[in-house]
Amino acid sequence: MRLIQIELELAPDTEVVATTSGTTVRRPWLRSLLSFLVVVGPGLIVMEADNDAGAVSTYMQAGGQYGLHLLWLLVLLLPICYFIQEMVARLGIATGKGHAAMIYERFGPWWGRFSLFDLLAVNFLTLITEFAAISLALSAFGIRPGVSVSMAAVALTLLVVTGSYRRWERIVIALCLLDTLWFVLAFVAHPAWSKVALNAVVPTRVDGGITGSLVFLVIAIVGTTIAPWQLFFQQSCVAEKRLRFADLKWARLDTLLGAIFTVLVAGAMMLVGDLGYRHHIAFSDPAQLAQALAPVVGPFVRNSLLLLMVNAAVLGATAISLASAWAYGEVRGWEHSLHKKPWEAPGFYATYVLCVGAAAGIVLIPHVPLQLIILSVQAFAGLILPSAIIFLQLLLNDHELLGDRWINRPWNNVINWTIIGVLFALSFTLAAQVVLPNLFN
Amino acid sequence: MAAIHITPPLESYRIIHPLDDVAETKCSTTGLGPIKMTPAVRLSLTALRGYLVLITLMLVYHVIDLAGWLPHTR
Repeated sequence: MRLIQIELELAPDTEVVATTSGTTVRRPWLRSLLSFLVVVGPGLIVMEADNDAGAVSTYMQAGGQYGLHLLWLLVLLLPICYFIQEMVARLGIATGKGHAAMIYERFGPWWGRFSLFDLLAVNFLTLITEFAAISLALSAFGIRPGVSVSMAAVALTLLVVTGSYRRWERIVIALCLLDTLWFVLAFVAHPAWSKVALNAVVPTRVDGGITGSLVFLVIAIVGTTIAPWQLFFQQSCVAEKRLRFADLKWARLDTLLGAIFTVLVAGAMMLVGDLGYRHHIAFSDPAQLAQALAPVVGPFVRNSLLLLMVNAAVLGATAISLASAWAYGEVRGWEHSLHKKPWEAPGFYATYVLCVGAAAGIVLIPHVPLQLIILSVQAFAGLILPSAIIFLQLLLNDHELLGDRWINRPWNNVINWTIIGVLFALSFTLAAQVVLPNLFN
Repeated sequence: MAAIHITPPLESYRIIHPLDDVAETKCSTTGLGPIKMTPAVRLSLTALRGYLVLITLMLVYHVIDLAGWLPHTR
């Protein structure tokens, strides 16, 4: 942040003076607040967009199947989320470039293309699940899939083609804040708050012990909370917003608050799922639970749940499509910026529109195997996440590129290698479970 | 003679949105080429290759199993 310290001959009671380039303030707290507000965005968006349709489904399933028993896992994942995304923000601020470009330039075309292909594939499959959720949720309101999915695809396109990063960011932050409604639903669910507090900090024994489905759900929660696209998205977003070196501490705060907000929202989703658990409602997706809960807690919860599901899918879809378009544009050397008009960055916008349009089109194909697609998303995500994080860790130790100021400190490395080890172990467990389905039974 | 109290001027700060600010010179890869193959980098990339090969083999096994080409022992 370029803070220009100037002496002004202004009346002492003048607090804020708007100038043509920036705002002048005198109170230190106001300076801190405004410095934060101009930086906030990438951290909050990347975290909250991660609570996408798949995450809503996973967290609510966790609540529906195991009640409050897995809440501690979310608390455990909070620092992991923060440490990983802090590295991404630091790398983005230091280099002003996206993650895909950095892998391509420092590790060569083979690893660059490998990372890009994995990212595009997993993002595209995830996008299909976002549109499937939109179709499912709005069908409950009587809107035909052809209409709901097409309207969502058009809205997602209009959101980015205005040629203004700021406009896109403001709209998306507003959508993120809509998720505060989850807290209202959690209170309406009337959980036993003492049990919530206990389960948030102490892992307790679940009914039935450790089974294959519990292990799978734990891995799914980890996989949905730390997704590969987040690394690419936040770094590109930081570069797009042109965050400066002095913005790092505010970018860190943005990331930390985003992580806390996201974990709280995820917890609220689990509490709503727990409502189904307490009423012995079996459900396979959140829309089904919303319908079943209507007679129990009224139409407000039903309608809110369905609309929040759509909101989650829209947030996920715009972030994931942008992650793909930014990454592809970076590697191809195209103009890849939301500051540009569509005719100034045709390849970038075409990639975004193609991702959105193709995913929407696939959802509208009758009898498309959505369950297979959801499973493929998990398998692909499991494959790409450890590799993407390894590149991140190596880049943050690249002294030649970053110098002393930006590279990881030894304590960063201890934490991050531990996280990488755990993620590798979980990926192997997931793979082993795919090969040997009865491994934990 | 009356004492004159001079109040020091209040410090002022200008907050500029990153998009309105002048561009900074960032850490650049220009002229650096590929990353240096230190033992840590070499070991990490080797481990990653091993991981990818193993995961691919497990998935291939799963596909063959699903296709029913393996004798069922489970």
